[in-house]
Amino acid sequence: MRTFVSRNAFPLGIAVVATAFLGLFFLYPVLKVFVSSVITPDGAHFTLQNYKDVLGSGFFLQGLTNSLSIAAMASFFSMLVGVPFAFCVARLPIAGKPVLLALTALPLVLPSFVSAYALVLMFGRAGIVTGFLRDIGIPFDSIYGVKGIVIAYTLTLYPYVVLPTVAAFKSLDVSVEEAAQNLGASRGRMLRTVTLPLVLPSILAGGLLVFIEGLENFGVPFVLAEDRPILAIEAYKMFVGETATNPSSAGVLGMLLIICTVAALLVQRGMLAQRRYATGARGATPLIDVTPGVRRLASIFCWFVIAAALVPFAAVVLISFLKFSGPVLQYQFSFSNFVQLFERSYRPLGNTLLLSTLAACVATLIGVPIGYVLVRYRSRLSAILDIVATSPFAVAGTVLGIGLVMAFSSGFLILTGTALILIIAYSVRKLPFAVRSASAIVHQIDPSLEEASISLGVPPLQTFVRIMVPLMVGGIVGAFVLTFVTIASELSSTVVLYSGQWSTMTVLMFQALEGNSPGVGTSAATILILCTVLPVALVYRLLRRYEMSML
Amino acid sequence: MTSITIDKAARTFGSVRAVDGISLDVRDGEFFTLLGPSGCGKTTLLRMVAGFCPLDEGRILFGDARIDTLPAHKRNTGMVFQNYAVFPNMKVGDNVAYGLRARNVSKADTERRVEAALKLVQLGGYGTRWPYQLSGGQLQRVAIARAIVIEPHVLLLDEPLSNLDAKLRVEMRSEIRRIQKMLGITVLYVTHDQEEALSMSDRIAVMRSGHVEQCAEPKVIYEQPATAFVANFVGTTNLLKGTVVTRTGNDVEVKVGTTGIKADAHGAAAAVGQGVVLSLRPEALRLVASGEAPPPGWSTLVGTLGETEYLGALTRFQVKVADGTVLQLMSLVPPQGDAQVTIACDPSRVVVLPEDA
Repeated sequence: MRTFVSRNAFPLGIAVVATAFLGLFFLYPVLKVFVSSVITPDGAHFTLQNYKDVLGSGFFLQGLTNSLSIAAMASFFSMLVGVPFAFCVARLPIAGKPVLLALTALPLVLPSFVSAYALVLMFGRAGIVTGFLRDIGIPFDSIYGVKGIVIAYTLTLYPYVVLPTVAAFKSLDVSVEEAAQNLGASRGRMLRTVTLPLVLPSILAGGLLVFIEGLENFGVPFVLAEDRPILAIEAYKMFVGETATNPSSAGVLGMLLIICTVAALLVQRGMLAQRRYATGARGATPLIDVTPGVRRLASIFCWFVIAAALVPFAAVVLISFLKFSGPVLQYQFSFSNFVQLFERSYRPLGNTLLLSTLAACVATLIGVPIGYVLVRYRSRLSAILDIVATSPFAVAGTVLGIGLVMAFSSGFLILTGTALILIIAYSVRKLPFAVRSASAIVHQIDPSLEEASISLGVPPLQTFVRIMVPLMVGGIVGAFVLTFVTIASELSSTVVLYSGQWSTMTVLMFQALEGNSPGVGTSAATILILCTVLPVALVYRLLRRYEMSML
Repeated sequence: MTSITIDKAARTFGSVRAVDGISLDVRDGEFFTLLGPSGCGKTTLLRMVAGFCPLDEGRILFGDARIDTLPAHKRNTGMVFQNYAVFPNMKVGDNVAYGLRARNVSKADTERRVEAALKLVQLGGYGTRWPYQLSGGQLQRVAIARAIVIEPHVLLLDEPLSNLDAKLRVEMRSEIRRIQKMLGITVLYVTHDQEEALSMSDRIAVMRSGHVEQCAEPKVIYEQPATAFVANFVGTTNLLKGTVVTRTGNDVEVKVGTTGIKADAHGAAAAVGQGVVLSLRPEALRLVASGEAPPPGWSTLVGTLGETEYLGALTRFQVKVADGTVLQLMSLVPPQGDAQVTIACDPSRVVVLPEDA
């Protein structure tokens, strides 16, 4: 009703820029992947043989089953941990809540494959804990395989469930709960029949995010799957494989991944569309009175979850300061790992910082105007823009990387081997995040502020610069930093696209994992953790206001 | 300062005709109010004048100059928003100076005019404060100062008092009226609160689903409503359907059920045999004590006393008449316990209205 009605060219211009950028660097590469999946290996004829081959192979079918079941289990366990956690944080008097809240979202910005790597260091075949248990006579099967991947996902992805669920619990209209009690429902019955149904859409939305992330993730299964087939990894191996590359099969696997994520996204969209009843809350939802015993239990539970999620990262940092002789850990303090890491070059660190900064700039510069247009101009055009701008979310990094190589290794634009192709991949992948952050910020700014400025004689474009930009700048800086840190720990498209001189910290870690050199691996992980935690800590105050709506 | 001419303005949203060919003339220096229920198109009409809602048809003029083709920032209107819209990233003084700076007014002039405007809204010396340090009422004053300091052609107010508490609202009513009179500025004011409209306006346009039902002075709107909708929306009234049985000049008698009610038609077209609606305001009705004769010329109705509501200065009560209709009445003295009562109605205050289409 009170959207900003105007008939100028601003939204059209933004839509053209966004469509051109995503058309060239997203839709075209994805189309290339699709085409490679439906033509004969010599490129001459249309065929469905590739699909028959892949779907007829027990190995790849197992990969599909593995990927889907791992994603489903990760989603289930994230909800199992995340919902009680969210309830405790939102509605119970928990000890140390401000710190708890600050730490909750942290696993989302830390590189998840570092957590997986820490699990291997502790619980792998030669792991510290495994060895210790063996020494005292307890047999312990290693962490590798499906269970390890699901554990790593749950520990790093559960905040995707917690954040929207906390928001939903907090925005609940208390009078609805009071009405239930007033009508004779016990507290348990009220939770079951009123409170939970009202927050259920948020829970499921979070669970689906975990599902999609679990399907697309490359690093965690790369560390933990060993030789078990996983879609995202098999696609990578088919494409860059040392023995025999097979772009057709890589294309088929990529399309299978895209189909799964798109299906999950459509389900999520449908659910969010029904989510219209969580409104009408006035003021803060009050905490529920509980006995000291319950309070203590809830506090222990929450702190245990946080500890379980963060201990792996802490362990990696600790271990990186111990000495390795070969792959064997010596319990002796040393900087030798860092010396070894930077011996050859500081270039990978420089690359990570440079590429992340540039890509975050591109994503922000394109994403913020899109986010603004989506909120302020409601039209058919902005509905299309919304779909175009959020679609990169449905394509795994590995698949986008493969598509970019297919599209830009020959022909009118050759980009493979350059830094530009990495920046393009990063900014395309993070664009949906930048758009959503900007919309969340614009949503919080009353449109009548702009109208007031215009009616006082300042033209629309100047009004945007003088009123909107200052009001948005805090949120934009916060979103920029989050984009930066998630790019710094990006692995899935990097491994497909990097070339020798443009290798990054994540590539170093990847190589250390392949070559089994834990010294370099742990020290690279520590540097990566620093690269993500430090900037987030610096802008934490800015992020607090928006984190619920951004993530 | 200027007059506003709205000429057959229209705007459609989807299938809803939000503003349906409205024509209005607001005089120079007039306090003009658009009154109506939510969804009647009053805010859309105001936003058309401000330039935030393009017209599908029609035109708008300030004086002789057509302005609906100008962009919003070139119309020189001062607008006050329901939610204040004070820029949170600027101090009070910078908020008020905002429009002057856009007009390249010299620094010394800006300072002087900002302080004068703040004094006018009784916020002298508040220029260095931040908006978050102010109360809702003070924020509304800042918004008014910011709108008038640019010496706009017209001042547009969009339900400016609806976010304030009841007492402050009454205070701000006279405050806004005082400022308007002092500056002699043309005001277009939007509200759904009839009391606000009646107490502040020179003239009121009562709106309903995209058109104007009646445009007149507050006294006329209340005492001589043109339609049943206006009579019902402004103030409390009893609407009774009936048929005209006799007419001599302006004196008519209308048969309602079995009772004849005398009324002054005030020139309304009400021929014998025509169906009409009578509006009986509570103040047109009076209880007649048993044994007392009704005033000469007044019609009477007999009924039973229903619920009474004690309002302090007044008592509101209901009377159920023979055909089952329930009438709302008011009196200074609470009615005594008789079940059977007689009501007399003042023919000069009964309004004869056309049947609602």
